[in-house]
Amino acid sequence: MRLPTALPLLALAAFAAFATQAALAADPAPGPTAAEDPPCCRDPLELGKPTDKSLYLLDSTWTSDVGREIKLGALRGRPQVVAMFFTHCEYACPIFVSELKSIEDKLPPDVLGKVDFLLVSMDVKRDTPAALAAFRATRGLARERWTLLRGEADDVRELAALLGVNFMEDARGQFAHSNLITLLNSEGEIVFQHVGLNQDPTLLIAAIEKTARDAKR
Amino acid sequence: MRIALRLIASILALGAVRGAETGMAVIPATIYRPLFRGEKDAKEMPVAAFQLDVRPVTNGEFLAFVRGHPHWQRSRVPRLFADNGYLAHWAGDADLGNARAEQPVTNVSWFAAKAFAAAQGKRLPTTAEWEVAAAAGFTLGDGKKDAAFQQAIAHWYASPSPLVVPDAGGGHENIFGVRDLHGLVWEWTSDFNSAMVTGDARGDTGLERQLFCGAGSLGASDRENYPAFMRFGFRSSLRAGYTVHNLGFRCATNP
Repeated sequence: MRLPTALPLLALAAFAAFATQAALAADPAPGPTAAEDPPCCRDPLELGKPTDKSLYLLDSTWTSDVGREIKLGALRGRPQVVAMFFTHCEYACPIFVSELKSIEDKLPPDVLGKVDFLLVSMDVKRDTPAALAAFRATRGLARERWTLLRGEADDVRELAALLGVNFMEDARGQFAHSNLITLLNSEGEIVFQHVGLNQDPTLLIAAIEKTARDAKR
Repeated sequence: MRIALRLIASILALGAVRGAETGMAVIPATIYRPLFRGEKDAKEMPVAAFQLDVRPVTNGEFLAFVRGHPHWQRSRVPRLFADNGYLAHWAGDADLGNARAEQPVTNVSWFAAKAFAAAQGKRLPTTAEWEVAAAAGFTLGDGKKDAAFQQAIAHWYASPSPLVVPDAGGGHENIFGVRDLHGLVWEWTSDFNSAMVTGDARGDTGLERQLFCGAGSLGASDRENYPAFMRFGFRSSLRAGYTVHNLGFRCATNP
């Protein structure tokens, strides 16, 4: 069931291509790398078995906004700034994603090339790869740095449980959820968590800079 | 209307229990009234019929599981899936030590509980399922109207946990034939992390507005239900890898 049929895939590819162009238009910042694949879709590194505390022990399969199916282990090698969200959010998520972008903006260039951002949707029904691609375009999320993923309900619940993100869908399809930003080191271990909206990000940024030194790619 | 529904539910339940798998009871389709919900959310939410273990999983049963699935043994499980208190009350990987086989297994993480359930072809109950099973009284479908039941659960929630955990299955059975939902150990649910309260919830003032997106719209439906507040607070404080000395689980299946 997880494999999309060819037709939506084609549509998706077309959409993703469109979305990419839109993203490029919306986010003129780093030029030459802009055509790169998102972090999820780079060639995996040969790094052996994940550590005892690595989230990359999870065997679940996820689909990115570019339509590629991956295991989270594909992100290994570079620290990840992780948040869970959903694209139809009417409450705080727009601010939440803006906060993540402002953290991205505050990182010095040498750090910026060694850290990725990962958004995972908790809206299993509506956040299709196409919906995620559209979100990438409207929010101008740099293609070479941001991964957007969707997964099956049980897998989303499991990842949320590991991150400490609590969430619950209400009758209108809005999700009440924890506003939690998690920093994974290049091995996929949780090294820092930033709680809440509009909180001073100094410690998070310092943690990202420190962790980025251990990046393996 | 409500009384009629309850009557029907009770009659169905009495008929259905006989058809349940050994060690499991059928909980008939019913209505769950979530303790916390958004202002515009339905006050009631349907819960389909399901089967629930009549008692929590025991040390003995969990021992058989880790023997058959060695990667879930104490020394081999990755820290991601269980913290270092995992099965800490046992003497070794496959040695109960002073723990009795009949006691409910505790010090198990959500991942371990889920893996155990999957190995039996079962699953963990959802919070809604667990709560509707736990809301049934000893003699009445609606535990709120059952004085003996109310007294028993208030007594447990007010008491410190005993030094020695009693055996599983020793509690008074409820109208569905399920025991020990109150009075023995806390229990994992499949969606324990849907509880949107902090550990210290008093009405909606305890909701951490900075932490939770949309939390401001949530309120408690029944402020009197102190044990339910405690369960929601407890669940929302858990992480999937946590192990707690008085936290166990039981399994569910679809009918």
